[in-house]
Amino acid sequence: MEGFSILTAIVLVPVIGAAAVALIPRSREDVIKAVGLTAAVFVGVAAISLAFAFDSHSAEYQFVSEASWIEEFGVSWLLGVDGISLFLVVLTGILFPIALVGTDPHRDVKGYTAWMLLLEAGCLGSFLALDLLLFFLFFELTLLPMYFIIGGWGYEKRVYASLKFFLFTLFGSAFMLVGMVALVFLSAKGSDPLTFDIRVLAERGALAEDTARWVFLAFTMAFAVKVPLFPVHTWLPDAHTQAPTAGSVILAGVLLKLGTYGLVRFGLTLFPKAAVDLAPVLLTLAVIGIIYGAVCATMQTDLKRLVAYSSVAHLGFIVLGTFALTTQGLSGGVLQMVNHGLSTGALFLLVGMIYERRHTREISELHGLQRSMPVMAVVFTVVMFSSIGLPGLNGFVGEFLILIGSFVTRRWWAVVATAGVILAALYLLWAYQRVFHGTPEGENATLPDMTLRERAVMAPLLVLIVFLGVYPQPVLDRINPTVEKLMEHVEEKGRYEQPAVAVNGVEGVREEREKKEVEEKEAKEQETERRLSEFKKAEDEAREKARSGGG
Amino acid sequence: MNGLLLAQGEQPGALPPLELPHVEYSAMAPHLILISGALVLLVWAAMTRRRPPWAWAAFTVVVGVASLVASWLMWLELGRNGPRTAVADAVVVDGYSVFFMVLVSAIVVLAALMGHAYLEREDDRGPEFYVLMLLSSSGAMFMASANDLVITFLGLEILSIALYVLAGFNNRRMESKEAAIKYFVLGAFSSAVFLYGVALVYGATGSTNLGEIAGYLQSTVSPANGILLAGVALLLVGFGFKVAAVPFHTWTPDVYQGAPSPVTGFMAAGAKAAGFAGLLRVFFSTFDTLKLDWQPIVWVLAVATLLVGSVLAIVQEDIKRVLAYSSISHAGFVLIGLQAANDKGLAGSLYYLLTYAFMVLGSFTVVTLVGRKGDARHDLNAYRGLSSRRPALALAFTVLLLAQAGIPFTTGFLAKFYVISAAVEGRSYSLALIAMLSSVVAAFFYLRVTVLMYMSSDEEEAEEARTEPLPIPRSLAAVLIFSVAFTVVFGLLPAPVIDFARDATLLL
Amino acid sequence: MADLAYLIPALPLAGFLALVVLGRRAGDPGAGWLATTAIGLAFLATLATFFELLGQDSHHREVTKPLFTWIAAGGFEVKAALLVDQLSITMALFVTGVGTLIHLYSVGYMKGDEHFPRFFVYLNLFAFSMLVLVLSDSFLFTFLGWEGVGACSYLLISFWFERDTAATAGKKAFVVNRVGDFGFMIAMFLLFSTVGTLTYNEVFEGLEGVSHAAIVAIALLLFVGACGKSAQLPLFVWLPDAMEGPSPVSALIHAATMVTAGVYLMARVSPLLAEAGGALTVIAVVGAVTALVAAVIACAQNDIKRVLAYSTISQLGYMFLAVGSGAYIAAVFHMVTHAFFKALLFLGAGSVMHGMNDELDMKRMGALRRWMPITGATFIVGWLAIAGVPPFSGFWSKDDVLLAAYDKSPVLWAVGLFTALLTAYYMGRQVFLVFFGDERWRREEQEGVHGNEPSRGRPEERSEAEPPAEGSHSEPHESPRLMTVPMIVLAALAALGGLLNLPFGKLKFLEHWLEPVFEEAEHKLAPGVEDLRLVLALVAIAAGAGGIALAYAIFMRAKRLNAFEPAVLQRGSGGFDDLYSFLVERPGRVIANFTAFVFDARIVDGLVNGAASVVRMGGSQLRKVQTGYVRNYALGVTFGAALLLGYALLRMGV
Repeated sequence: MEGFSILTAIVLVPVIGAAAVALIPRSREDVIKAVGLTAAVFVGVAAISLAFAFDSHSAEYQFVSEASWIEEFGVSWLLGVDGISLFLVVLTGILFPIALVGTDPHRDVKGYTAWMLLLEAGCLGSFLALDLLLFFLFFELTLLPMYFIIGGWGYEKRVYASLKFFLFTLFGSAFMLVGMVALVFLSAKGSDPLTFDIRVLAERGALAEDTARWVFLAFTMAFAVKVPLFPVHTWLPDAHTQAPTAGSVILAGVLLKLGTYGLVRFGLTLFPKAAVDLAPVLLTLAVIGIIYGAVCATMQTDLKRLVAYSSVAHLGFIVLGTFALTTQGLSGGVLQMVNHGLSTGALFLLVGMIYERRHTREISELHGLQRSMPVMAVVFTVVMFSSIGLPGLNGFVGEFLILIGSFVTRRWWAVVATAGVILAALYLLWAYQRVFHGTPEGENATLPDMTLRERAVMAPLLVLIVFLGVYPQPVLDRINPTVEKLMEHVEEKGRYEQPAVAVNGVEGVREEREKKEVEEKEAKEQETERRLSEFKKAEDEAREKARSGGG
Repeated sequence: MNGLLLAQGEQPGALPPLELPHVEYSAMAPHLILISGALVLLVWAAMTRRRPPWAWAAFTVVVGVASLVASWLMWLELGRNGPRTAVADAVVVDGYSVFFMVLVSAIVVLAALMGHAYLEREDDRGPEFYVLMLLSSSGAMFMASANDLVITFLGLEILSIALYVLAGFNNRRMESKEAAIKYFVLGAFSSAVFLYGVALVYGATGSTNLGEIAGYLQSTVSPANGILLAGVALLLVGFGFKVAAVPFHTWTPDVYQGAPSPVTGFMAAGAKAAGFAGLLRVFFSTFDTLKLDWQPIVWVLAVATLLVGSVLAIVQEDIKRVLAYSSISHAGFVLIGLQAANDKGLAGSLYYLLTYAFMVLGSFTVVTLVGRKGDARHDLNAYRGLSSRRPALALAFTVLLLAQAGIPFTTGFLAKFYVISAAVEGRSYSLALIAMLSSVVAAFFYLRVTVLMYMSSDEEEAEEARTEPLPIPRSLAAVLIFSVAFTVVFGLLPAPVIDFARDATLLL
Repeated sequence: MADLAYLIPALPLAGFLALVVLGRRAGDPGAGWLATTAIGLAFLATLATFFELLGQDSHHREVTKPLFTWIAAGGFEVKAALLVDQLSITMALFVTGVGTLIHLYSVGYMKGDEHFPRFFVYLNLFAFSMLVLVLSDSFLFTFLGWEGVGACSYLLISFWFERDTAATAGKKAFVVNRVGDFGFMIAMFLLFSTVGTLTYNEVFEGLEGVSHAAIVAIALLLFVGACGKSAQLPLFVWLPDAMEGPSPVSALIHAATMVTAGVYLMARVSPLLAEAGGALTVIAVVGAVTALVAAVIACAQNDIKRVLAYSTISQLGYMFLAVGSGAYIAAVFHMVTHAFFKALLFLGAGSVMHGMNDELDMKRMGALRRWMPITGATFIVGWLAIAGVPPFSGFWSKDDVLLAAYDKSPVLWAVGLFTALLTAYYMGRQVFLVFFGDERWRREEQEGVHGNEPSRGRPEERSEAEPPAEGSHSEPHESPRLMTVPMIVLAALAALGGLLNLPFGKLKFLEHWLEPVFEEAEHKLAPGVEDLRLVLALVAIAAGAGGIALAYAIFMRAKRLNAFEPAVLQRGSGGFDDLYSFLVERPGRVIANFTAFVFDARIVDGLVNGAASVVRMGGSQLRKVQTGYVRNYALGVTFGAALLLGYALLRMGV
């Protein structure tokens, strides 16, 4: 039992920060901001250094920190990071400081900062927990701060939106809790003790096939709401539209990933067979989401709502990649989680900046902003292109891996999904034209361009967007080993085999072809064998007849 | 008192000429401490004219602490010598009973503090509240430690009669009197049913002693017969009434609303615990062999209780009614533990009762506060913008409410988790799922209160702020701090409490 | 060897980055000069590489220059690497060459535009992307450039974003191209799943063993992509609108370089097309039909740039006809010559606009050769080239194309020939209307058809010159030397470009040069067809002459202003826009509106809120039981008790 590690620190520092903030008197806003930012930045730095310290050749969980917590149920404080969670942690570490600096709560800085830090702790905990119950606790914990942030700092219909968000997610996790407990108790056969350690549970895999399927569905229920998958997505547009900018940034950037991450980490790892069997269902929902989200986005009149629906489409891609069950698809999915976090996070920040100036999200109210804020226009263009999936920017890499990975196993799903790429260009460019192009009148003509602070906030995001588009390999190098290991796990436990080409490329194709040729040859030989024997039989019979005729 | 108890204890095995059993007073130390405390208080109050306003409360607290210490000593002693029965098998000293002694003693202390502040505000100088509460608590303890249905009934009555009076004890409020009457009439009714149940069981098994009944049931080949089951059913009705399980819950909202807020708190925490103490012991230890017969019906009760409790709570406009219905749905959760009928179920139920007691006491402390003089302002709107006037208070209330909703890192979550895993271990997945879904509905009304406290628009807050300030007496602050601390600390470091509950069942 | 090749894309990229960093500080004309230098140096680098290759013997002129691993996961790996061979270098040569000239021209043309630096940022970025597209060694890396040029064209078309038409045109271009890219992407997926790689050479090696059906599918899907980029039927509708962009953009992107990317892609994958059989015929037919349709529409345009736009589409059709006939060299040849004369024509048009306060309607021009002699002269050279008048370049390349087409099928040849006639006609019409005839722009009020196009110059200039091009207060004037010099150079190239590949034995330089690339794919002319060359050439010349004569008769002799100009052809994209909006846009809107505001808002979300309100209603119904009357409560308890008892007895079967 290794006790304390950097990961524990990463999770606890925001909590401590939140506690500290809670103790500072309400009036000392500057101090509060400073403390909050310090905590967030610390986590960010720690997370990034984690990425560097991470051993890119190992597929195992690293920096594991473990301490027994509730022996009665075999629950323990168990944190670890691998290629799948690593960059989600980094993403969280980067987005939170940006959200804190980049947005300004117009009231009650204290509560706002405290909740944000608590939220960060929840997210990090969920990504790092290797203990089912611990994950569930953090997963649930994220609800509360987000609920208060939306409800306390949101817009007109904030109460409705926050309640909807909270209850919808709670509804999903109700199933998960039961499924989780069932999994743990059922897989504790005979003498082996109760444990929530997913590493052990994944190995035990003791559930009967149909039971596993039910439990998998229970888990999926929770994650599907979080992702969100069609048709349980309707909380998202409301939550996004009503949430304050920082809320939207974190919601889109990090919280939604809890769903997709959960599907990979728990869906695939704990229930390989069920995942393989039920993949078509999830793929179909994912593809529906891609098209459906895009179509809905096209028609929105509210800029934030539009981006929200685009998230539905993008997350659909990630789910598609996950359940394509190929190395490319999965790697792409994991990478795309990060990419979507960056580009959509950036989009929400920009929309927020526009709102700060114009106090409206209505597309029809905005016009010709490119004249009044050229810099903003440039930044927006880059982010938009990354969201559209333009090669050379981050969005494309993940999207392409996902599509090519799903094409080799699920051709038609991939084709439909690719059509979604066209739509993405349509709704974003159209929105851009309506907001930025044309000659501005009235208020639009006099809007101030991005401030230095705002530029500073966007800069890191832009850098990452370009870098991950041009040279994603350092990231993929760390993701791939884990993904390959996971795919082997799925193949072995799920009695499934991904196409050779996905594993070996050209070599794979050649092997495939040779194998087929061999089989054909064998088949031919057997055929001739059969023919020969038949012929012999016929001959014998004829001889028999002749003899009997003779006799 | 003891004489009466003894005579009752005698009847079943009364073949030899009258012979006084040896009474081990040590086995009932906490009970006796509470009772004598009550008597002393009466006498003292009768004799003195002038006394400092806090005297009664202080004394009661001392008594409570004393019984707490006594219970704790018994716990340690139990660890050494193991369980035993006393007073001719009438009462039993085991982890289970001691667990409840500890719990009830703690409740006494907190309730006394709540009561003090309340009485100060309503300027009522009498000691009656404390006396009655002490008596009724002793009844609760008897229910937990009874080893004989008659003793159980006795405990039930001691508990209830005192409660009837407590409910109606604020003679300035009409609702209070009404509540008392309702509670009394229905209570008497259900007690009768319970007694009839006892009679039937006696008829079927020839004994009221839990041990002997269990022995009989194990010895006979097919123990179940109509009479016995009918008896069991009626016992269930009696207990169901006390713990406010649907459909025997109907009194709850009215009485909770009518009774003085501290009393309501005491009911929700103590009376419910006592009711379950009796119920769980009888069903787990004695009628264990009839599991298959009563599990289905408990399933139905649990589901009904969960759903009715949570669904009705969301349409209430009065905080006390809301909490009343929420207490009903919590009873449903405890019933899950019973339905599971396994070790985890029993331990889970105990854990649930323990943690819930403090959550609900804390909540009613806030209610008492916000109720203001006259204990009248219980409309949900009274909580509008509380966060801006009394941030700490609002936060505490939020924690307690959300803990009841089952938010992570609070005892509330672990309690639900505990019983759910018991249910899953008992393979009743559907019940577990229904419970969790009902808790989603329940979450709605806990959130509704937080919405009022935090998200009401500014002018409303301003309007509220203009109303007179809200002073927080020290005693209430103490209760609040304790209950919140307990809920959060043991939510983060759950091991001690969880082990306590488990050991209580092991030492059965 | 060929290490300079790295510089070819690197230099424009450097220029782009420098301009981004400098931003407005680069200023006017500083930014322009910086950009021009960057691309100019790139041209020199290309030349150097070209001669280096010439140094090698013809079969060792192909090298791959790796950069770094771009994307890799499992069995999928794509490197960012440059493939330097005869084809890519030829392409790079005229991209950088023509590019340099147009950059130079732009410095003059964009003078005084408030967004001057931004323009050259885009221009250099475009050059970079285009060179990546050309030089890449894998489909995916090509796709990077492919999308890059698409994005740049979007940015440049909507360069004057204040004007809604420009904004819309940019969006249209990008989205229509995306439809093509859809094909390109699926093709790549199919390639990976059948061959296991996306690198050109590995793909071509891995082709054997891939089913014929798959190959045909891949070829056609790639062609869909090409149709998008190179504006072929049915995806050509974006190019005419793309004329909203500044004229240099039209010249560089929408005439000389980007739109030929589709043809280049086809040439690049010639080994694959060689296997694809039927697909070739499809390509040839689409090419021929596009050439014809576009030419017909061109005859009815009044907008000086739109005429050229349609003519571009039509010429690209020729190139695809050549590809479809397996005559890749002819395709490339025509691509090069077309780059020369079409760039020249667009620059001429730009110069005319520049001298006429951004007048676009040819009906309001005339006799301009007197006022802008250099523009006039060079434009006429370009006209003769495109009209296929010997010895100008267009004649030779078009001749090769037609020859190949004839070999494929006489019908295709006939279509091509008729298109040639039309080309000569509409270009003649343009020249006569613009540079000859009366000075119609002097008249106060115009007779004849008014331009159906709004003036399309820099917005701010327009505002100062309201009403545009009315009255004699603004005489037409020749453009500054910065603009005329590039035109003169291009004119020379347009005139002499034919020398690249004269159809006489040793003189087939281009053919000999490109041979190794296409050796297995190039279709060998059937015996005897070669002998027909002279005859066919004469027929073609006749057709060209006929076209010109017709135009002369109508517009010079009869001095008529319009002929063969049915209104339908003057609608957007010759009526195709209406068709598409009827088939796609309107139904799309209806469906989308329904999904977003009825299905999603009412039905899906309705169910959610419905569930909530059901619970609430249930609550208020149950509430009624809570009457407050003790008797009812007692009844409840009794009822419950009865229930339990009933169960107990039932269980005992009593």
